[in-house]
Amino acid sequence: MSALSAVVYREAKIRATNFTFIFWDLFFPLLYMLVFGVGINSALGAPPGLGNVSYNEFFLAGVLAMASFAIASNTSWSFFLDRDNGIFYEMLTYPMSRSEYLLGKVIFNVFIAVVQAALTLVIGRLLLGIRVNWQSLPLLLVGMAVGTAGWFFFYAIFALRIRRNDVFNSVTSVFYFVFMFASSMFYPLDPLPAWFRVAALLNPITWEIDWLRFTSIGLGNLHTILLEGAAFVVFALACFIYAVRCLHRQE
Amino acid sequence: MSEFALEVENLVKVYAARGKQPVRAVDGMNFRVPRGIIFGLLGPNGAGKSTLLRVLTTLTRPTQGTAKILGYDVVKKSIEVRKRISSVIQETAVELFLSVRDNLLTYARFQGLDQPTATRRADALIENFQLGAEVDRKVQDLSGGFRRRVQVAKVFMVKTPVLFLDEFSTGMDPLLKRQVMNLLRAEVEKGRTIILTTQILSEAEELCDDILIIDKGKQIARGDLNTLKLLSHGVYEVTLTFDRLPETIQSEIAALAPIRSTVEANTIDLALKTEEGRVMEIVSALTHGRRVLRVEVRGASLEDIFVELTTQHAKETA
Repeated sequence: MSALSAVVYREAKIRATNFTFIFWDLFFPLLYMLVFGVGINSALGAPPGLGNVSYNEFFLAGVLAMASFAIASNTSWSFFLDRDNGIFYEMLTYPMSRSEYLLGKVIFNVFIAVVQAALTLVIGRLLLGIRVNWQSLPLLLVGMAVGTAGWFFFYAIFALRIRRNDVFNSVTSVFYFVFMFASSMFYPLDPLPAWFRVAALLNPITWEIDWLRFTSIGLGNLHTILLEGAAFVVFALACFIYAVRCLHRQE
Repeated sequence: MSEFALEVENLVKVYAARGKQPVRAVDGMNFRVPRGIIFGLLGPNGAGKSTLLRVLTTLTRPTQGTAKILGYDVVKKSIEVRKRISSVIQETAVELFLSVRDNLLTYARFQGLDQPTATRRADALIENFQLGAEVDRKVQDLSGGFRRRVQVAKVFMVKTPVLFLDEFSTGMDPLLKRQVMNLLRAEVEKGRTIILTTQILSEAEELCDDILIIDKGKQIARGDLNTLKLLSHGVYEVTLTFDRLPETIQSEIAALAPIRSTVEANTIDLALKTEEGRVMEIVSALTHGRRVLRVEVRGASLEDIFVELTTQHAKETA
């Protein structure tokens, strides 16, 4: 337990003493929602076939998932920073297991993601009039936490297996493009071609977005959401187990 | 608990990169290190020192054999091992985004120290390592030398029984290095075991109670300084200072085929492998009819032993 708290303390110290990190972590999704969301909402209006749901309301879950995706990617990038500093290898000789190290790293960032989600919901409600389903807020926050952790473990695999920073950056850029656009983040899937819908439904970020959308504005089918939630948990667990193995192989 | 700080048995570490010949970085090592000493691990570049240290500090798993720290296997009981060690690795391992004080306190937290103890020890080390003026600055704003100070200071925050130092004095000025060497000696007197690697042989000669020389992953020689000097029986160091350097001295030295020789201003330094009586004859011949300011004949230094043993090993394995 003390090893976990030490990793959390370290992550918190690094973030808390660097204003730019904090700013980016907390306000990035809000800026996205306010600039991108408002722009699309004004230009194109409500998405087709979703009744009286505005684009801002539809996009809210996408913004939250994008935030958890970005936090996970930034946190895994810190492996490169630590490796360049040499502190990465020294930390692996500290009295903690490899899984404690990974979990400790993600706990603080899950906390940031949850705070960020709460802030985004409140500001979305106040500034954009988004109708938030507050009763299911705890489930939404669970979705954010599991989502951030899952994506962190996913990215950690690549950060630990790839040695070169520039290669990792290229890989994450491709991931950003593929995962975000081949999903239900920016648009509803129903009007899209069948092949695209299949690709999006196989995309774990769609599972996370659908959960967040259901718990934030009540859009979606409970049965599908539960199935997607379970699939995401399996995805996150598999990534965690493989990331721990990768950490064991650091030489 | 084991009476040994370190036990290594048939240890092998092979690096096998795809499409390349496997490299046996550690090749069947066997040794034990008693508690409460400074143990030096010496060898030329690529000898396998750092790989051995990486296995012992649980960073790398061995391919074969076992290694134990205070009786705990580095693979099967890695957490127990990590609780009992602290290490300074070759890279300057520091938290760049944290201040000097936060670096020390964060390290203490990882090692399970309570806050008051951590603060008290950090204050003492900040003074000892002359970090007072930099204490609240982020380490990323400090020079390489100061970063190294922070890194080395960290291991004195804790009282782990075994301490690993990989080239600890890199980037340190002579005064600080002397101070750290005194601190290390004091730690050993309190019962800690220190395992160090270094390329600076005078450092090893001064600090180490027991030395293992390795090359190409294999052990070449083991013992304290006196034992190693016996292995290199017949090696002598000669220093001669003339009022002015004789013109023919370079060719005279070359004819002696020394193990090594240096000429600096009016002084020549030689390491010769020969019989005891012959050394005096050589000194007499080199100084005959010349004005000599200083003559010094000594037994072999660690450097001579190191050069002789590793050269011999290279010839044998070629």
